[in-house]
Amino acid sequence: MIEIKNLHASVNGKEILKGINLKVNAGEVHAIMGPNGSGKSTLAQVLSGHPAYTVTQGEVIFEGQNLLDLEPEKRAHAGVFLAFQYPVEIPGVSNSYFLKAGLNEIRKSRGEEELDSMQFLKMLKVKMKIVEMDPSFIHRPVNEGFSGGEKKRNEILQMAVLEPKLAILDETDSGLDIDALKIVSSGVNKLKSPQNATIVVTHYQRLLNYIVPDFVHVLVNGRIVKSGGKELAMELEANGYDFIREEMLQAS
Amino acid sequence: MDEKIMPNKNDHYVSEFEAFQKNGASKSPLWVNDVRTSALSVFAERGFPTTKEEDWKYTNVSAIAKSPFTYSSGTSGIPAGLVASLLVKDLEQYVIVFINGHVSKEHSNVEGLPDGAAVKNLIEAYVTHTDIVKEHLAKYVPFNKNPFTALNTAFINDGAFIHIPAHVEVAKPIHLLFISTQKEGKQIASHIRNLIVVEEGAKVNIAHSFYSAQANSNLTNVVTEVVAKKRSTVELVKVQCESDLSYHFENLYVHQSHESRVHVFSLAVGGAIARNDMSVIIDGESTECNLNGLYITSGEQLIDHHTFMHHIHPNCPSHELFKGILMDKSRAVFNGKVYVEPEAQKTDSKQTNRNLLLSDDAVVDTKPELEIFADDVKCTHGAAVGGMNETHSFYLKTRGITEGSARGILTVGFAAEATQKIVHPELRHHVDVIVVDHLRTKFGTANLPDIVHA
Repeated sequence: MIEIKNLHASVNGKEILKGINLKVNAGEVHAIMGPNGSGKSTLAQVLSGHPAYTVTQGEVIFEGQNLLDLEPEKRAHAGVFLAFQYPVEIPGVSNSYFLKAGLNEIRKSRGEEELDSMQFLKMLKVKMKIVEMDPSFIHRPVNEGFSGGEKKRNEILQMAVLEPKLAILDETDSGLDIDALKIVSSGVNKLKSPQNATIVVTHYQRLLNYIVPDFVHVLVNGRIVKSGGKELAMELEANGYDFIREEMLQAS
Repeated sequence: MDEKIMPNKNDHYVSEFEAFQKNGASKSPLWVNDVRTSALSVFAERGFPTTKEEDWKYTNVSAIAKSPFTYSSGTSGIPAGLVASLLVKDLEQYVIVFINGHVSKEHSNVEGLPDGAAVKNLIEAYVTHTDIVKEHLAKYVPFNKNPFTALNTAFINDGAFIHIPAHVEVAKPIHLLFISTQKEGKQIASHIRNLIVVEEGAKVNIAHSFYSAQANSNLTNVVTEVVAKKRSTVELVKVQCESDLSYHFENLYVHQSHESRVHVFSLAVGGAIARNDMSVIIDGESTECNLNGLYITSGEQLIDHHTFMHHIHPNCPSHELFKGILMDKSRAVFNGKVYVEPEAQKTDSKQTNRNLLLSDDAVVDTKPELEIFADDVKCTHGAAVGGMNETHSFYLKTRGITEGSARGILTVGFAAEATQKIVHPELRHHVDVIVVDHLRTKFGTANLPDIVHA
């Protein structure tokens, strides 16, 4: 589905990603773990096309297209979705308007009919059950006055509505209590299918108890230094990231 | 060039004044005439302000000084259906309409007001509410400080008069609607004088709207005095949507007694040059004032807000949030002064001014002024000027929303943070619709959301 080759990216002239290689197939869940400042969130943002980052080398092929050539909205149309670590509050614009605007742009780009308000609301109500969201959230302004947990649930609701091929979850577990974590993870699991893929970016292993990855990659200093199965996450949880650094030192 | 040495311009108003004295002015009592004469002599001596004066540093009114505006002695016709289109939709409201500063009874309807409450024009109130008018009219706003106020006071004649007796709660909003229209191809000056007296424990919501009947370059020069007696609650929502060619000035002066609560909101989108001077005198303990506003400028418009929050007594909160959206080569000024007297301990005052610049050529001058003479107070202020937030815009685009829509949606969101301060739900919705309609003309219809409320 997506193949990242030797990806280098910088922000304000400082190189953050220093040659990422990663291949994700449909039906797979990949976890990207790493210490603070290793470049995890940068990778998520670069894949979605945040304008603050400059790609200096490498390429990303998504479903046969060169992803890096596309504007952020075109990437969304192609099927890439980013669940934000810090979702933005938009006072004065209702959640339903916001989601309908996005969904209809995506449908248009696929040559599908736009949904009218009735069709949209009917679909939205079904999707809201996936993240156990109260129907009152439909008319509330986007993320405004939402708790940390509600914002993250709202991200997963957006994912449920937009039905991306590739969902990138950036620190979706941060700021969640255990109940919210369960709801959010169960939402993500319900949306999993053999046709889509998920990249979970996280600092802690905790989330991976609920969203079980097929592959775990450890990102240190802008490079993937170790890959493995879900047991790698356990190892990191038990030993911290230092053991990876030690392994790297020994290797060099 | 010092514009003050253009006595001929002031002479224009002196001769206008003489004509006015002969025609129309006689409808008001003699004591009003004394006030007028003193105000005229202040204006004749001073003339229009220049940018050399600190208060007018960023607002050059020489275009107004150079235009000989004509006092209109009566109303004019306005297009059929205009008034209906400007009312708050789907809401019963008491309406009083003024055209070029003169009451239009045919467009007004204040049937069904609670017993004792009055909504009428000032000329009528001179007769029916003689004592109240005499007690309050021109007693609050000093006319020697602001030349536009001096000019307004010289031409005091008509305007809106509201009196809400003690403990009366007016359930429906009162809508004061001021329409400026062309007359015989002249630039018309309307000097509108409003007096709003809300007695002890009374409650009222007032919409205060200004429109032009067509693209005209008239001058609307308003002075509004609001007296909020103890434990009263007053909300005043101003909407200024005059023509982009017009000139609009208002000096709003609010006098609050103890435990009163006042909410003022100002939406300003019209005028080539528009300025709101808004002063609140917090003259009583445990009094609350909320003064908020939103200005949207485009083309070469200049919109100026000067606020003055005067804390005299202890334990009073005051909150100010003014937001600005600037496009093209437009300009805005915000000057917010908070003055805390030595006795005003435990004052809790917060002032914020945020500006969204959507063009590299737009300019905003923002200046907070805090003068605090009490030692146990909490006073904060903040001013911000910036462009569209890239991260916010990125968030919307990752949901498939196009660049143009993202800008439109975020601009509406920026505005909504200010309009949310309006307490009355229908008035808030009314203002939100005006804001979105106005922004649609700038951003394109496809790029702006329908409003859906919480």
